[in-house]
Amino acid sequence: MELAEFDENTPYAIETVNLNIYYGNKHVVKNVSLRIPRNTVFAIMGPSGSGKSTLLRSFNRLLDFYPEARVEGVVRVLGVNIYDEHVDPTIVRRIVGMVFQIPNPFPHLSIYDNVAIGPKLHGMCKSKQELDELVKWALEKAGLWDEVKDRLHEPATKLSGGQKQRLSIARALALKPKILLMDEPTANLDPVSTTRIEELIVELKKDVTIVLVTHSPRQAARVADYVAFMYMGEIVEVGTANEIFTAPKNPLTEKYLTGVVG
Amino acid sequence: MVLVKRLLVVLLGSYARRFNRDDKRFLVVVGAFPMILLSLLVSMPVIIVVKSTPIFEHEGIAVFISSVWRAVEGSAEEEFYGLLPAIWGSIYTATIAVVVGGILSICFAVFVEDMVPHRFRDILSTLMDVMAALPTIVYGLWAAAFLAPLLLDYIYKPLHQLLAWTPFFSFPPKTGYTLGTAGVLLGIMITPYAAAMIREAYSSIPLSYVEAIYSLGATKLEAIRLKLGMIKPAILAALVLGFGRAVGETVAVALVVGNSLTLTLSLTSPGITVASLIANMFASAPYYKYMESALFAGGLALFMIGLAVNSIGLLVIKKWEERIGLHM
Repeated sequence: MELAEFDENTPYAIETVNLNIYYGNKHVVKNVSLRIPRNTVFAIMGPSGSGKSTLLRSFNRLLDFYPEARVEGVVRVLGVNIYDEHVDPTIVRRIVGMVFQIPNPFPHLSIYDNVAIGPKLHGMCKSKQELDELVKWALEKAGLWDEVKDRLHEPATKLSGGQKQRLSIARALALKPKILLMDEPTANLDPVSTTRIEELIVELKKDVTIVLVTHSPRQAARVADYVAFMYMGEIVEVGTANEIFTAPKNPLTEKYLTGVVG
Repeated sequence: MVLVKRLLVVLLGSYARRFNRDDKRFLVVVGAFPMILLSLLVSMPVIIVVKSTPIFEHEGIAVFISSVWRAVEGSAEEEFYGLLPAIWGSIYTATIAVVVGGILSICFAVFVEDMVPHRFRDILSTLMDVMAALPTIVYGLWAAAFLAPLLLDYIYKPLHQLLAWTPFFSFPPKTGYTLGTAGVLLGIMITPYAAAMIREAYSSIPLSYVEAIYSLGATKLEAIRLKLGMIKPAILAALVLGFGRAVGETVAVALVVGNSLTLTLSLTSPGITVASLIANMFASAPYYKYMESALFAGGLALFMIGLAVNSIGLLVIKKWEERIGLHM
């Protein structure tokens, strides 16, 4: 399959139709039909165990690595059904980047190599100079360049938690993805680092569509354009952030927002 | 008993006050055995040094750096023992073993963890555990009857034809009992241990890193390479321990190494190792004045080789771990 199959001009970055996900006999994502508009921040909000992370992992076929997991239904990424026979998941993952809950730069690689590894895997750069520029670009986009430009070849483990998470973001951005999945990216960070990442998310939506999984209504309110509330594997309610936070239609959503359910 | 208790109080200081009277007695009894064991361990290098002193007085450092071996019955002054071929043979075969065992065990670990379906995983690792438990003489017999002729016909002979101009295959192969065979056998023998260690480290790489690798669109092969890079310290540790085992392995090697005091790089030539030399000669050593002492000097050499390899290995591992900040 070719990268060109993905249509960058479709109105929806991701579209799911009747998506069901099972772990063995456990039905963890139930009949989800979502449309995620391009170049927005789309938050999937819900309590722990509601299936948010599983749903997110179906968007880049990362569930392939969970032997128990079974996916039924359609997930269209930029118009391509990524569970179709002919689809190469490694190309899907080039278009759909991901940032994880635990900041996870590779501990045995330098700061530079952590960012360069994606482009190297896909042979994106023809020269060292081109790669240097791409690494710089990604680190600048992730707001980390000024802090690390003089120590690019130090191990990534020397960075603070917040810096590590921004390095993970730079690593994902270096592939020039169109969509960025973020699985509770600030769950392990202090408030100052959290603010920086949240500012970054808003900044990044010019270039990429961001799907943000969070358990925090406050975070969703601060950064999201759209919010889906997920509970026990089902999408209870979807709407613009404004609708969800000012006038939730479903009583369950309201209960979650006020801290009664969760 | 009172003296022992006094000693205990002196040794342990205020720590001893945490025990009441009955506990103190108990401590003395339980503590005695490890203490005896430790003092036995300390006596080990001492005994070896003491027993090898005569040969150093007789011929000095030449025992380590000479290839001459002259055992003359009844004429002590003419006796001369140079262990260089044996020391070289030990290092050479153990190095081959580390290369062969390293490749085998890394492949095994990756295969079991990343390639085979879950239900076969247990079967394969049990099989490896069984291999680890086999008596080494069984390996030796198997290698003498099967591995040696196999290597002779399908590896040594053709490679000698092609590569006789290199030092590694220069010796015209006549039997399968060679340094190369000993090295390959040792490689196979250290594999169960090394593979278990490497597999343990490989499977304990946090899921978060594995997901991160694949989320960048890595293929399985690319992910495996990156994961192996991540556990480099564990791989080195496994190989250092493997070297230690290989350099000391005796009886299996004695069956296939050829037992010829030859100093050579050639894999197709018979040779000898320190351990197999000791095993072969120890029974006849009392007929000579200095031979037994020379064999103890061989033991001392092995002791020092083991110590050196382990120390260097540990240093490198520590350095890597500091850099990585990831302890496995």
